[in-house]
Amino acid sequence: MSETSESDEVRELFVQDGVLLFSAAASFINFVKSVGTLMITEYSDGTKFIEWKPIDVTVDSDIQDQEWAVVNTVEKRIRTLSGTVPPEHKNRSKYLRISFEDIKSFRISDKSRRLTLNDGKSEPICTYLFQHGNCDHLVGCLKTLVKTVASRRDKHLFIIPDIKDPEHEKIDRSFAELNVCTDSAYAWKLWNNFQERPVVATFEAFAKITDLVYRGPEHREIDADDVKEILNRSITEYESTTTTHSQGDYEVIDVPDLPKRRDFPRGKPLNLEQWLGVQDNEGRIEDSECIKLMIFQGGIVPSLREEVWKYLLDYYPWNCTKIERQKLVSQKNDEYFSMKLQWKTMTKTQEDNFTDYKERKTQIEKDVSRTDRTIDFYAGDNNPNLQILNDILMTYVMYNFDLGYVQGMSDLLSPILHLMQSEVDAFWCFVGFMNKLSSNFDADQVGMKEQLSNLHTILAFIDPDLAAYFDSHDSGNMFFCFRWLLVWFKRELSEEDCMSFWEVLWTGFPCDNFHLLICCAILTEEKRKLMDNNFGFTEILKHINELCGQLNVEKILNDAQGIFYQIKESEQLTDVVRLLLGLPILSNNSFDNHETSPFEESIDASNGSSSSPPKCSVDNVRISPDEVTFEKSLSSNFL
Amino acid sequence: MSSARVNMRPSSKNTLLKVVILGDGRVGKSCLMNRFVSNQFDEHSFHTIGVEFLNKDLNLDDCTYTLQIWDTAGQERFRTLRTPFYRGSDICMLTYAIDDKSTFSNLQMWKNEFLYYADIKENTPFPFIVVGNKSDLSSTEREVSQVEMETWCNENGITSYIETSAKDANNVQEAFRMAVRQWIKLETRADKNEIPFNDTVDLKTKHVEGRTSCCIGSGDE
Ligand SMILES: Nc1nc2c(ncn2[C@@H]2O[C@H](COP(=O)(O)OP(=O)(O)O)[C@@H](O)[C@H]2O)c(=O)[nH]1
Ligand SMILES: [Mg+2]
Repeated sequence: MSETSESDEVRELFVQDGVLLFSAAASFINFVKSVGTLMITEYSDGTKFIEWKPIDVTVDSDIQDQEWAVVNTVEKRIRTLSGTVPPEHKNRSKYLRISFEDIKSFRISDKSRRLTLNDGKSEPICTYLFQHGNCDHLVGCLKTLVKTVASRRDKHLFIIPDIKDPEHEKIDRSFAELNVCTDSAYAWKLWNNFQERPVVATFEAFAKITDLVYRGPEHREIDADDVKEILNRSITEYESTTTTHSQGDYEVIDVPDLPKRRDFPRGKPLNLEQWLGVQDNEGRIEDSECIKLMIFQGGIVPSLREEVWKYLLDYYPWNCTKIERQKLVSQKNDEYFSMKLQWKTMTKTQEDNFTDYKERKTQIEKDVSRTDRTIDFYAGDNNPNLQILNDILMTYVMYNFDLGYVQGMSDLLSPILHLMQSEVDAFWCFVGFMNKLSSNFDADQVGMKEQLSNLHTILAFIDPDLAAYFDSHDSGNMFFCFRWLLVWFKRELSEEDCMSFWEVLWTGFPCDNFHLLICCAILTEEKRKLMDNNFGFTEILKHINELCGQLNVEKILNDAQGIFYQIKESEQLTDVVRLLLGLPILSNNSFDNHETSPFEESIDASNGSSSSPPKCSVDNVRISPDEVTFEKSLSSNFL
Repeated sequence: MSSARVNMRPSSKNTLLKVVILGDGRVGKSCLMNRFVSNQFDEHSFHTIGVEFLNKDLNLDDCTYTLQIWDTAGQERFRTLRTPFYRGSDICMLTYAIDDKSTFSNLQMWKNEFLYYADIKENTPFPFIVVGNKSDLSSTEREVSQVEMETWCNENGITSYIETSAKDANNVQEAFRMAVRQWIKLETRADKNEIPFNDTVDLKTKHVEGRTSCCIGSGDE
C-alpha cells in the first residue's frame, strides 16, 4: 500500500465492478464488507498495482454471500483498457493499493469467486469476493502482466516468482533461445499451460512455430525437434528444482477437443408385444435393464404407459409376479386410505392448533386451482379431478410431513393422475417420482442450488465459452434454468411431450443427471442467440423463459445423448464430471485436495438415499444474531 | 442512495425502473402483471415457478418509463431464490387480496423482507405502493376494508395505496402510474438534497408539484 503522488499519470489496465473487500489488513477494516471496484493500474513510472476503491454502499455479509446475489439489472463493467483516467479519478487516497512487487502469490477459491493476495508473510494482504461473475478476467489479465506458476501443493495457489531468482532467468533464457515467443509473458503462459495441459500446450507451441515458419524470412526457421528439445530441457530443469506438474487448474482455458457430436435418432416406443415378451409365465420381468434401455431409446406407446410407469416409478418391483402385485395393490390401497383418513378426520380445532399442517393445506388449495386448468381433465369449476389432485397432495403431506407440500409438486402429480385415473395408483407413483426428485424441494433449496452448480460444471466442460459467457454476464449461477430443473420441464412442454420426456428420464439411462445434459443440449442450441445479442442476466432469463412451448422433445433427447457420448469419449474427461454422470473414476488422486467443493463432497449422499445432509456451499458465512432472529421470524414455520 | 439507483435517474427521456411485486401466493400478482403488460386476464393461469419478468413502457408527464416488472413465487421455501431479485429495485408493490385477511396480515412480513434484502438504508423513504387486488368480488366476500388498509399504510408511512381488479382491469394502470409518481416524487426530493443547483431537477419538481394530488398525503419522511 505505497504512496504515489497525485500528479502521476494512471492507466487503468483492467476494471471490474462489484467486487467486495472480504478481508483486509487493519488499516482498511472500515472498508471490509463493502463493495467496490477492482482495478489493475499502471503509473507513468511503469509500476503496476492492484487497486480497489469502495463505492459508498455497504452490504450485509448475508446478502453478498447469498448464492444468487449476483442479480442486478444494472450493467456491470468488466473491461480491459489502456486510456488514461479522467482527472476526477486522480484522487486515489481512499484506494487500497497493492504494488505488484508486494504480491508473492494469489489464491483462487470458491469457484473463482474469491481471490486472496499474499505478500509471502503469514497473513494474506486481502481477499476479494467477486459478486458478479468471477475473477477469471482479472486473473487472465494479471497473468499477461506477471509470471505465475501454479503451486505444487495447492492447485488453487499461484506463485509469482521472484524475477531475480536465478532459476527463472534460466527459463527466460530457454524461451529466448527458442526465439518462438517474442514476449516473455506469452512464454510464461505457454509454460503454465504446459504444466497444466502438456498435450494442448505443446500443440499450441507448435502452432506458434508453424506461424513463424510461414511468416517469412525475418524469423529464424526452427526445426520442430529442436523446439521440443529446448522446451523439454527447460521444463525438466525447472521441474527438478522448484515445482512439478499440477493437475487441473481452477479453470479450463482451452476448449477441450470433444469428439464430434453424433446423431442418435429416437427409436420405436416399447409396445405391448415386447412388453409381454419380457415377462415370464408368472408375470415377472427378468431383464428390467433391457426394458429400461428400450424405453430410453424410444419411450412407451401411450396405451401401455399406465402399467409400465408403475414399474418405472418403483410402485411395482420388476421381479414380482402377477399374484404378488395383486397383494401389493390391496395392501397399498389400505395404506393410502388410512393415511387419507388421518387428515380427513382432523377437526377444525386441531387444524387451528397445527399451524404447519394448516399452512400446507392452504398452499395446496391455492395451487391445485392453478394446475393444468387448460387440460380438459382439470378444466371447469368444481371439477372432481381437482379434488383428487388435492387429496393426493394432502395425503402426501401425511406420508412425508417433513417435506410437506412445496410449489411445483402439483405439477409433477398432474400428468400422473391424468394417466392413472386412479387416486391410489397415482399416489404411489407420485411417491416414487418424489423419491427421485425430493432434493428439489429441500427447505433451504440446497438441492436446487447444487443442481444448478452441477449444471454449470458440466456446461463448462462441454462448452467453456458459453459457461464463461454466463459467468461474465451475471448468470454463472444458472438461475435461469431453475424452472426447468424444479419440475423437469413440465412447464415448458405439452402434457403429451412431458409424459414421453419423463419416462425417458426415469429409466436412469444413459447416466446419472441426464437431465443436466438436456439443459446443456438446449443451452448450446441457444448459445448463438444469447451471445450474439450480448444478452445480460435479465435477457437471458427472459429468453429462456420464453422457450416455453418451443422445445422439441425428440431433438433435445437426441442432442443430449450425443453430448453424453461426446463427454464419455473425451480424452480430457475430468473426475468431477465423471462423478456427476456416475461414470467410473479413473484416478483417485484428484480429490485429495482440500478445495473440494461442497457439491463434490455430497455427491455420494445425493446418489444414494442422501444419508448425510449436503453442506451449504458458502464457506465463511458470518451471521449476526440479528440476522438469525430475522431468518427465524421469516421461516419459523419450517424450523 | 445506492449506485444502482443513481445510474437510473431520469436524466434521459427513457428511464428504466425495476418494479418488484410482492405478496402471498394467489393474491393475483401474476394476473396484475399480465393485465398491466398485455391487458389480458387468464382464468386458467398457472402459479408462478421461479421468477418471471416483463417489460412495459409507461408514459407520464412527457417522459417514458420502462417498467421492468418482476414477479416471483410467494412460497416461503423459495425465499432464498427470490430475495436476491430485490436488489436494485426502484419500486416495490405490496399486494394482498381483499377477500383474504391473512394475505393482508402478511404485508408487514413482505415489507420487512423487501427492505432487508433490497438493502435499503434505514430511514430512507422508498417508493412502496400497497395494492388490494380482487376488488371485483362482492362485498360479502370482502375480508379487508379500505379503512383497514389505509390505517396500515399510514402506520407504515406509505402514501400510495389503491384497490384493483386484475380481472376487470379496474385501477391496474392507475396502480402502476401511482407507483411511478411516488418514485418520481422521492427521487426528486433526493436529487434536491444531493445536488442543489441543477436545471433538470427544477424542471421535474414542477411536474411533480403540479400533480401531488394523485399521491395521498405526504408523511413519508
Ligand atoms: N376475482 C378475481 N380473481 C383474481 C383477480 N386476480 C387474480 N385472480 C385469481 O386469483 C388467482 C391467483 O392469481 P395469480 O396471479 O396466479 O396469483 P399470484 O400467486 O399472486 O401470482 C387466479 O386463480 C386468478 O384467476 C382479480 O382481480 N379478481
Ligand atoms: Mg404468480
